[in-house]
Amino acid sequence: MILIGELSLWVALLMAAWAAITSFAGGSLGREDLITSGRRGLYVTTLMVILASVGLWTALLSHDFSLSYVAGHTSANMPRVYVFTAFWGGQAGSMLFWALILSCYSSIAIWSVREKARELAPFACGTLALILLFFIATTCFKANPFDRLAFVPADGKGMNPQLQNPGMAIHPPNLYLGYVATAIPFAFAIAALITRKLDASWLLVVRRWSLISWFFLTVGITLGMWWAYVELGWSGYWAWDPVENASFLPWLTGTAFLHSIMIQEKRGMLRKWNVVLVVTTFLLAIFGTFITRSGIIESVHSFAQSPVGTWFATFFFAATGATIYFVATRLKDLEATAVLESMVSREAAFLYNNLVLVGIAFSVLWGTLFPILSEWVRGSKITVGPPFFNTVNIPLGLLLLALTGIGPLIAWRKASTSNLKRQFIFPTASGVVVGVVLFALGMRNYHALIAYTLAGFVSGTIGQEFYKGIGARRSIHGEGLFVAVVRLIARNRRRYGGYIVHAGIVILFSAFAGLAFKKDHDVQIKAGETKVLVDPLGHTWRFVSQGVSTSETLNRFVTAIGLEVFRDDVRQGILTSEKRQYFDSNKQPQFEPSTEVGIRTSAMLDLYVVLAGVRDDTAELRISFNPLVVWVWIGGMIMAIGGLIVMWPQAERRRAPSGYVATLAPAHELVTAE
Amino acid sequence: MHRREFFRRAALGGAGLVTARVLDAQGTAKPQAPATGNTSNLFDMNQDAAKTVRRPARAGAAESMDDEDRDALVREIRCQCGCTLDVYICRTTDFSCQVSPAMHRDIISLVEGGYSAQEILDSFVTTYGERALMAPKREGFNLTGYLMPFAVLGVGAVALTTVLRRMSNRAAPAVIGARVVRSAEGDATDDEMARLNAAIRKDE
Repeated sequence: MILIGELSLWVALLMAAWAAITSFAGGSLGREDLITSGRRGLYVTTLMVILASVGLWTALLSHDFSLSYVAGHTSANMPRVYVFTAFWGGQAGSMLFWALILSCYSSIAIWSVREKARELAPFACGTLALILLFFIATTCFKANPFDRLAFVPADGKGMNPQLQNPGMAIHPPNLYLGYVATAIPFAFAIAALITRKLDASWLLVVRRWSLISWFFLTVGITLGMWWAYVELGWSGYWAWDPVENASFLPWLTGTAFLHSIMIQEKRGMLRKWNVVLVVTTFLLAIFGTFITRSGIIESVHSFAQSPVGTWFATFFFAATGATIYFVATRLKDLEATAVLESMVSREAAFLYNNLVLVGIAFSVLWGTLFPILSEWVRGSKITVGPPFFNTVNIPLGLLLLALTGIGPLIAWRKASTSNLKRQFIFPTASGVVVGVVLFALGMRNYHALIAYTLAGFVSGTIGQEFYKGIGARRSIHGEGLFVAVVRLIARNRRRYGGYIVHAGIVILFSAFAGLAFKKDHDVQIKAGETKVLVDPLGHTWRFVSQGVSTSETLNRFVTAIGLEVFRDDVRQGILTSEKRQYFDSNKQPQFEPSTEVGIRTSAMLDLYVVLAGVRDDTAELRISFNPLVVWVWIGGMIMAIGGLIVMWPQAERRRAPSGYVATLAPAHELVTAE
Repeated sequence: MHRREFFRRAALGGAGLVTARVLDAQGTAKPQAPATGNTSNLFDMNQDAAKTVRRPARAGAAESMDDEDRDALVREIRCQCGCTLDVYICRTTDFSCQVSPAMHRDIISLVEGGYSAQEILDSFVTTYGERALMAPKREGFNLTGYLMPFAVLGVGAVALTTVLRRMSNRAAPAVIGARVVRSAEGDATDDEMARLNAAIRKDE
């Protein structure tokens, strides 16, 4: 099976090339036979990549250490689940994993539109096959997981201990699912540009796949934050590391697109802008991968670096160049078919929302690249760390939060003054009440105060929208509260799913603001000793050391400290924090010791204990009180649920987006009477 | 394919290849961190990166700040082991790092010697360069880094507002149906606009 897998990868390379050539040729010449051959070529490529993946999984699970990848990322004594996830735990495997997802996505996307978008499909198929060709070629020539060692070691090195965590097992696949899904809208955008079929028909496919991408990126980023928090021991979940930023960039532009696409669907506006956002999202996903793998920017994730960075750079510039060419030569075809009626309209609000989202994306990209720019210009290296990103992005984030509340309150086309008054009064009052109450309670951190005030405002907006919708259903249909809520969401999934996403955003921002009150304590403690600390909410915590213990388990030595914890003299239980030294089957230590944080979660704050080490019977600990952290995970989950609701197909009426746009006269048919 | 188009595409491909060669060369020339045999699981740790940042204590010096302010200062200084973390977090997370404890000792020594936060930061910058700070100083070229996002957003906001104003000032054409005649700018009455909007909404 391993040999079949290896051979399949090479066949996939040829088939992807075939699919690209025949699809483009078939589309250009209008030859149905070539188009069909190209499509089938894509399906066969997918089958071959699946076989190659099964081959690699077989090698991993059978501990075939003759393969460099298997020996480098697994060992015989590793838990089976992590042997399975080692597929994407290293560079070469993750490249194949990327190709696997892309080929499956591509086949599904092309199969689903083979009859509906006959003109676009060949070019979309060709573009996807080209992207797939790049990934398979990179896997074959630069990061081949089937490369063999000159000798067969008795055991493998094992997996980086920090990757042996449930979060890390599921976070990368989700991110990959999100990253790779950006390729489908990109391919259809390129197909629409090539064929000049830039009407609303391509939007349906693009929107669906953009939502899929957004959903998985949201889940992936949230899981990544959770992994960093529970595994790395830094007491935080976001460090503005280049690799984190790389995942955030396509999320931002993807979010902007999901807002602006509504304007194109409803009003036929923003066609150029939407094409730019779709392709930018894909290019940022590629750029992010380039940053991660090339090592051109200093990152704590440098374990992921390899020679594929150069290939990604080449691909990125080639794709960017081709995109610029196609957009530049099709500008006339992208003219809007409607004009803005009023500055005070939802369209305008969405555009400002887009501006802020893209502005944040720029600021993140700028901060990530600024060390390189600074070195070029001044010749000296600088660090652009969290203080920089927080300084720049907190104001922008607050602006975005405000717009999250403002947008839904303004009517499409044109809002009247009375409409604005009616819509804004309750949300504004909610925000003001929250702000005043928190100020009266003594909150003097102004960033946090503004964040909570705006959170109150946006919550007011969401609450008002639900209240009105539920009220209308109850009065019209006579439904009970629960039924009205369910049907309101089910019958208007895009709108109310979107509000649920906004609710998740509000919760996330509130949780982020909680970090302003975080407290860390550097503690040395011996067995039997007691330490007393006060948390940001004024509670007194008492920690009694139960001493340091050592033990051995499956593939690691464990040094652990147990602390008996009391809050305001009420016993909370025993909290343990560990240092782990992983070893292979021969008990040879592998990797450096890793940290297992002791965390006690409550709604208001997390107690976070890190065992830094033990010196002369004294345990050195960092004890942190991290307010509202659990709400980051809850907010992320709510956003994902909202995304799922928005994505779910409307069973009762599947029709083209907003009939109004479909009947619009093309721009070139408009004449002006002077 | 037209000749012009062919050359355009060839130029685009060429640009990509040149960039790739430059990056390849950079990659080859990139200095590798010394192999110390004592590294991190996530990055190349340089255990020899610590340098001494000591200055003689001032006469009759008392500690220049309390523990809370000192910890805040420690968070402004970056550990040089390669972790990208500040000295406080690195030191209290990972015992295998020998750089952050050394840097922390230097900070304590300077605090005890009566030096202010700014003087301590300056000392570290003198010894390690500006990369000793977690964020660049807000001066000179670095200001570009801090201000550029706001400048871009500001320019974007002005441009967007101008475009939207211009668009909204044009009379909205009745665009439903086939050929449409756009009326001259601003000659529709409010009543006409209201009826038009109502018709459009009905059509939606």
